[in-house]
Amino acid sequence: MTDIRDAAFAPADYIINWARKNSLWPFFFGLSCCFVEEATAWGPRYDIARFGSEVFRGSPRQADVLIISGTMFKKVAPVALRLYEQMADPKWVISMGSCSNSGGMYDVYSVVQGSDQILPVDVYIPGCPPRPEALFEGLLLLQKKIAAGERPTRPVLHLPGGCEGGRRDHLIDGVNKCRDTRGPGYAGIPIRGTAATEPFFHGSRTAGMWTPAAPRIALRPDQEAVAADLLAAFGEDVALVPDSQDMPTYAVAPARIVEVLDRLKHASPTRFTRLEDLTAIDETARKDRPGHDATVVYTLTSLSAPGMVRLTCALPTRDASIASATGVWPAAAWYEREVAEMFGLAFAGHPDPRRLLTHRDWQGHPLRKDSEGRATNMAPFTEEEARRLEPVDAREILGPHADDGDYILNFGPHHYATHGILRYALALRGERIKAVGLDIGYHHRGVEKIGERQTWHQFIPYTDRVDYLSGVANNLSYVTAVETLAGIAVPPRAAYARVMLSELFRLSNHLMYFGTFLQDLGMMSPIFYALREREMVLDIIETITGGRLHPSWLRIGGMAADLPEGWKEMVDAFVKIFPGRLKEYHAGVTKNPIVRARCVGVGGISAADAIDWGVTGPNLRAAGVAWDRRKAMPYGAYADFDFDVPTREGGDCFARYLVRMDEMEQSLRIIEQAASNMPGGRYLSEDVRYCLPQKDEALRDIESLIHHFVNVTRGPRLPAGQAYAATEAPRGEQGYYLVSDGGSHAYRLRVRTPGFANIQALPLIAEGLRIADFVAVLASYDYILPDIDR
Amino acid sequence: MPPENVFVPLASPFSPWEPGALGFTVFFCIVLAILALILFLSGFLVRRRPTPEKQRPYECGILPTGQGRFRYPVPFFLMAVFFLIFDVETAYIMAYAAAWPELGLPGYLRLAVFVVVLGLGLAYAWKKGGLDWNEEQGL
Repeated sequence: MTDIRDAAFAPADYIINWARKNSLWPFFFGLSCCFVEEATAWGPRYDIARFGSEVFRGSPRQADVLIISGTMFKKVAPVALRLYEQMADPKWVISMGSCSNSGGMYDVYSVVQGSDQILPVDVYIPGCPPRPEALFEGLLLLQKKIAAGERPTRPVLHLPGGCEGGRRDHLIDGVNKCRDTRGPGYAGIPIRGTAATEPFFHGSRTAGMWTPAAPRIALRPDQEAVAADLLAAFGEDVALVPDSQDMPTYAVAPARIVEVLDRLKHASPTRFTRLEDLTAIDETARKDRPGHDATVVYTLTSLSAPGMVRLTCALPTRDASIASATGVWPAAAWYEREVAEMFGLAFAGHPDPRRLLTHRDWQGHPLRKDSEGRATNMAPFTEEEARRLEPVDAREILGPHADDGDYILNFGPHHYATHGILRYALALRGERIKAVGLDIGYHHRGVEKIGERQTWHQFIPYTDRVDYLSGVANNLSYVTAVETLAGIAVPPRAAYARVMLSELFRLSNHLMYFGTFLQDLGMMSPIFYALREREMVLDIIETITGGRLHPSWLRIGGMAADLPEGWKEMVDAFVKIFPGRLKEYHAGVTKNPIVRARCVGVGGISAADAIDWGVTGPNLRAAGVAWDRRKAMPYGAYADFDFDVPTREGGDCFARYLVRMDEMEQSLRIIEQAASNMPGGRYLSEDVRYCLPQKDEALRDIESLIHHFVNVTRGPRLPAGQAYAATEAPRGEQGYYLVSDGGSHAYRLRVRTPGFANIQALPLIAEGLRIADFVAVLASYDYILPDIDR
Repeated sequence: MPPENVFVPLASPFSPWEPGALGFTVFFCIVLAILALILFLSGFLVRRRPTPEKQRPYECGILPTGQGRFRYPVPFFLMAVFFLIFDVETAYIMAYAAAWPELGLPGYLRLAVFVVVLGLGLAYAWKKGGLDWNEEQGL
């Protein structure tokens, strides 16, 4: 029965609710992938303005809807809590995407299993990521909720009774929510398949499967020369590992590692000028235990004679110490910090041995084999825990780089211009940046840990999300590494389609770059044009793969299905339209005097510095280095394609912008060639020992069906060994380093991302600039958070 | 013989029959009333729910380091002062330009004195280095 007072205030309630629900102002707050779809919803095709919510506010004071779009990380949770508290009342919360709803596919130590554990959520939007239409559905549900459930007149008039605003309470694990994805009642029962993974491998069926040994490489003459030189210089302290699968691998005595690195960089017959990657392996869960507990792995790249080399150092225990390589490569600093926090190793002589990705007060070393990987097996993350993990003070990040007279400003993790949850602590003298301190790890999703429990096939969806704007291009890096490890030949049709899709994603990424770069410079229109064209690209991708951001479309040895009918017409139409649109961009933007004034000569980096710090991708080419992995060390079908490597001089913001604009033209050329020369034939390798059979075969004959069953359930067994494969992803070189113990999942999976190295070099560029220039640098630099934090 | 019934208003400015101060007064009171109502409503209808977190300054979700009142470089202050001075000058010149037909040459000369004095001031500031941008100054 309706209260008489409710009835009396009903007309006023109706009017206030109507006004409120049709002018919900979302907070400009994005955590990860989902925010891309949220931003797309704001763009021209979807146009969130139809629902009165196009006013995305940068400050919590002006916003009344918090759309938690993306993964709620433990490190960023205190920030999200504070921002919610700082929002104006009445306020509502929409949880967008599986990660925010429940942790989603990231049941991992660094992720909160559902943001409703700390924040009061009114509406949940399922999806990974939800499409813009799904966001609208969520928004409309919230509008309905407001209209149906709220009686705001009395609170507004300071009378007792009535109600307004969203929920105020959060859920408590075990009381009104269950973190177990299987539902309540399974407490104490491990997740299916747990026993077959490390550290014990009980009942792993891979023991009963046979696979041929991993392929081996033969050394080229220049590699022989390097080997001879190392042997001559270091004698028994450096040994060439006999069964190298992908590149010459040397076992180095830990005491001499710095000397060896120095020689390879400065004095060997082939100079290895880039520290590609530095990581470690915990050896304590090996099926056949070696005599040591940890291995540090150095991967170097030579740009002059395209090639790579790997050095491994066996350390007796997981707490052992090894000399720091920061004296040879300054870029080693972050890699070593990461290894130290993840494995517990120590680097003697490291200038700044703090934790990098995890919070200062984090306990344990997550990548150790005996460290718990699943968040659902850990205690629930609560508000108290969030208070404990309060981000450290900016002065602590800057350390000795800041003086008393400096003004310390936190730039991020929540900021328009940081393009993700990344925190810069700036020491300012007036407008000028004296020092930049970086605090990363707010987006650490623990994919390397996840890689150790997913089968080789199961891990593919996680790769999509490593660089969430580059979808299939990420898949390519991973499957190429698996294919190198197992010696799988990819049929030509799949190889061409992979190239085409990767380039489409490069276009999609660069279009987003174009829009956001100029928006950060204060130019509002280009993003609308860019999103218009991006939707065309996404339409093609969706026709082929069925997905927009994360198609998870590639498979080991090929791709998930054949190209569908009608793909060629769409690609042809796009190839015809796009060059004109590019001209439009150049006419409106490239010649714009304000854009030039903001960018030309701002934030440059020299070629030598860029190489030394491991900067890759368009940012490296903008500094004048004509290095592109697609040309220098072709993978997949790239050797068959005719394209140029655009470069610019100076490495300033404008050069970075122009290189990407030129790359779009080149990508278009590649797409055109791939589409016109697309070979016929199989789309998945016949090597069904590792690869899924083609679907039509699995439906037709029992043999293929059995292979399909085995490969999707327990997963194929890959030969023991290690392989590194890198591709030229849109943002730079993305590599996967896989260590197989002869199991159905990686023993160690390492992602070498371009963002990690690129962003480490950022202080070099930014120090001495003004704040406004800093925004231009960030926007032109094009990084993405999961690519930095993984 | 003078006419007898001539209406002589006591206080002609407040006469309701002639344009004068009354109309203005009524208008003024209405404005005051509306302003008071708006101010009252915006104060009354807003429900303030201050929490410690909400009262904090917003700095990208992080607790700010140090004081908001920090020492900042002198050039910022100088720029602000110069802007103020030359902004006021513009306001005078605009008003003067609107009244140009009535003021004529004498008005022009009077304003010229004003502009010349300000110009001298600018030259002095320039010469003294007041327009140089040195962010370290004053820190």
